[in-house]
Amino acid sequence: MSTTTSNTPLRDRMHANDEAFKTTGSLFGLNTLTRKEDDPGTYEAVWHILSNLCNTAWATGCKVSSSPIAAEGGDALWALHTATGEAVCISRGISAHAGLLSDMIKHFIELGYEDYPGFKQGDIFENNDPHYGGIHSPDFDMCMPLFYKDKLIAWASCVSHVSDSGSVTPGSIGFLNPDCYSDGIPISMERVGEHDAFYPWYEMRIRSRTRTPDFVMGDARGRLAGCITIRERLEEVIEKYSLDFVLGAMNEYVEDSRRYAVARVKNQTVPGRIRKSQFKDLAMKGKRVLLSKQNIDCMFNLPMDLTINADASVDLSLAGASGTVPFGENISPTALKSGLMMGYSHIVGFDMFNSGPTSAWNIEMPPDGSWANPYPVDFQAASGVAWAPAVTWLSNLYEVFGRVFQMRGFVEEMAAGSGSIMTAEFAGINQTGMYLTGLTLEQASQGSPARGYSDGQNSAWCIYTPEGDFGNAEVSELYYPILFLGRNVAPDSGGFGKFRGGLGHTAVWMVYNTPGLEYSCGDAGMRSKTVGNHGMYGAYPVVPDRPGYGHKTNLKQLIDEQKPLIHERGGPDNPAVTSKIMAELVEDNAVAPFVTPEQLVDYDVIVHPISGAQAMGDPIERDPESVANDLNEGWTTQRVANDIHGVVTSKPNGHLVPDVEATAKKRQEIREDRKSRAVPFKQWWAEERKKVEAQENMDNAVRTMWETSMRLSPEYGNNIRKFWKLPEDFTFTPDAQ
Amino acid sequence: MASFDKADIEKLIDGVLPWPATQDMLKSSKDEDRFDKYVEIMQARVDFDDPILLPLTPQLFIVSDNGERVVKCKCGQSFGDYRVNWKLSALIYVRDDEQKMGEVYVGREMPDPAWLQLREYICGGCGTQLEVEAVPRGCPPDFEFLPDLDTFYSEWLGRPLPDTVAFEDKTLDEVGKW
Repeated sequence: MSTTTSNTPLRDRMHANDEAFKTTGSLFGLNTLTRKEDDPGTYEAVWHILSNLCNTAWATGCKVSSSPIAAEGGDALWALHTATGEAVCISRGISAHAGLLSDMIKHFIELGYEDYPGFKQGDIFENNDPHYGGIHSPDFDMCMPLFYKDKLIAWASCVSHVSDSGSVTPGSIGFLNPDCYSDGIPISMERVGEHDAFYPWYEMRIRSRTRTPDFVMGDARGRLAGCITIRERLEEVIEKYSLDFVLGAMNEYVEDSRRYAVARVKNQTVPGRIRKSQFKDLAMKGKRVLLSKQNIDCMFNLPMDLTINADASVDLSLAGASGTVPFGENISPTALKSGLMMGYSHIVGFDMFNSGPTSAWNIEMPPDGSWANPYPVDFQAASGVAWAPAVTWLSNLYEVFGRVFQMRGFVEEMAAGSGSIMTAEFAGINQTGMYLTGLTLEQASQGSPARGYSDGQNSAWCIYTPEGDFGNAEVSELYYPILFLGRNVAPDSGGFGKFRGGLGHTAVWMVYNTPGLEYSCGDAGMRSKTVGNHGMYGAYPVVPDRPGYGHKTNLKQLIDEQKPLIHERGGPDNPAVTSKIMAELVEDNAVAPFVTPEQLVDYDVIVHPISGAQAMGDPIERDPESVANDLNEGWTTQRVANDIHGVVTSKPNGHLVPDVEATAKKRQEIREDRKSRAVPFKQWWAEERKKVEAQENMDNAVRTMWETSMRLSPEYGNNIRKFWKLPEDFTFTPDAQ
Repeated sequence: MASFDKADIEKLIDGVLPWPATQDMLKSSKDEDRFDKYVEIMQARVDFDDPILLPLTPQLFIVSDNGERVVKCKCGQSFGDYRVNWKLSALIYVRDDEQKMGEVYVGREMPDPAWLQLREYICGGCGTQLEVEAVPRGCPPDFEFLPDLDTFYSEWLGRPLPDTVAFEDKTLDEVGKW
């Protein structure tokens, strides 16, 4: 046990905790979980009470919040922490932030804020600045010290995603931000209020520097209301169960969670080295950008190198990560670690979600100057939507743990990864005459990954939030000058495999009741030039995101004449936006992300796809009945059923059923075709290495990516040279700028 | 500690275990003998007699073949030393132009071949598609998992294998011979 007391300065207590972990291997030096062993019933009961207390804060805070992002989508989180910052338990909501909130509290302590400006009951502290550990400016991180009889005993924290943070372009998905100066209003590790109230100058800053100040301040009050809820309820819990029990149990919950995660790794995985590549495109050349340096296409290298050690600790490296980009898609290592904690908690340590499992990680600092650690080289790097590369990288964690769970036979725990995450934001005057900008929640309800025993679920999941909730269409219509013409399952959007990913959907919006509206088809981890992820175990990957829109359409005429409108995406070679309506300007195959170059007007139409998730297994091993069922549901097409899955169907009684014999024959033909057209790897390698050396048919974005990856991580670069037998001084050569 | 029938585990693998029973498996504390049962099930489903040391994927297995630890497909096709990426011993078909991509993705769902190639790794024995990589040109094949087999058997399972081999990636050594 640590020898510090409640009177010891917090920074000293924090350092003593670190030392105790180093010497004992247990958090807080807790070799024994006394309260758990002595009174397991109360220990379990208090855990659930504290968890529910956070959920009460979430319910209260979201109700008080103003923007539809928190109020309707629940895109927020509240947490309870120990006095030294460790997250003990969290609410429902965007769980990716728990680690970040924990690190923020520790950062306040480490910076000496306990001495100046000091901590007292009713203080409100905030940060949204990535240079000090924030993720991106629209995510306002808040914490409040909680006192009991003049002693600081804990912290309450919250994050909510505001509708506009004053970045150079409207909204909260600032992919177009060229540098940190355009990222919006910074709250840089500040005390922003006392006595449970915000300073007047805090509100004045919000009012002068954000586009939707009423909503942003409403969300701030929502955060505050939730934190006060935690404080008041915690006092009741302490009165009932005693201060000693509650504080002791809070430490034990964190250590308990660490033990659970370590045990789970040891009992359900296999030691060894896991490697998985991942790539993401960001094609901006020729589009509407802000500075000339942004007239480029970019490709991210997002590699995961993970080693499970004999003691079940986990080493993690991002060696090979590519360089920063002149867009808002760079992330601080602190924020990346927080995202990792969320992924890890979903996959490995989800019994008690808190800071505990992170203590079993050894994370190598990402390469200086990479998208994952920009500031040592590029202090001006933008982070407007820093999640974009991070969640794409994080997808690997799901897949690689799915693989090791399979090796131990725990098939029920297996999952594939995510697909593509594309957002939609609007900016303009709405039907009430109010200027409004903000995010729809469509992307928060994607298809879920294939499991080891089943397809994923349709429109039920999102990698960055367990909420999986896209909100009510009617509520979005209240805020934004749009009407939903469709929100329906998109066929073939979950990859092709033995088990497919859950399917995504298509939102079809008609612009209505506005003098002009900007549509920002944004990037929160989307892929548009490439596919969404690899396949897993021989499946084919998820299709790219390709949105569409029609400007100055004939929709009013069609409505007046009561003729059919447009309600869906349409076939890949027969987009509905071109076949169902007429328009002066039609974009039916846009490469995302982009902001519409022209203001959209009444009766314009937007066709916005939302991705499904990764599939698993050879597509010709898919149960023919499942393929026939997908055909009958309209969830796949005859081309995919026949050519990809090798399923032949007939329709004897109005419903398609598989022809067993014809299917077996077709599948055998596919196997033989594969063997006859494929070549031994070595033969392909001999030809391919010449093309690699000649940099043949490699887009400039790809060559730039490889050049930065190999320069920033020399050993990674040497391994690429060795694999392809390239000269020792070989580098890829981007086009001259 | 939970215990599950082998028959139910087989149903789970085949995707036919009823959802309540699947939920039970998800919620219960994990059964300690799962690995051994899973290996037994897989051993009965493969077309070879070599003992399985580790199911690398549902289709590929690290086996002991006369004392050598090699990767084998369900059908018995061998892919050599498990410390060399098995993909080097597979057949490969690469979709790196629109015509080849177009057999899988059509119209606006077509990725750009200057940004990405689809690599299909095929078993030369049974024609199973073992993995599909979506990577830009220049990316070495992913070596998804190199197990530390000796640590696994000796320290985690408590029954060391009869011999030990170094835990090392020998892929680049193999390529160096080409």
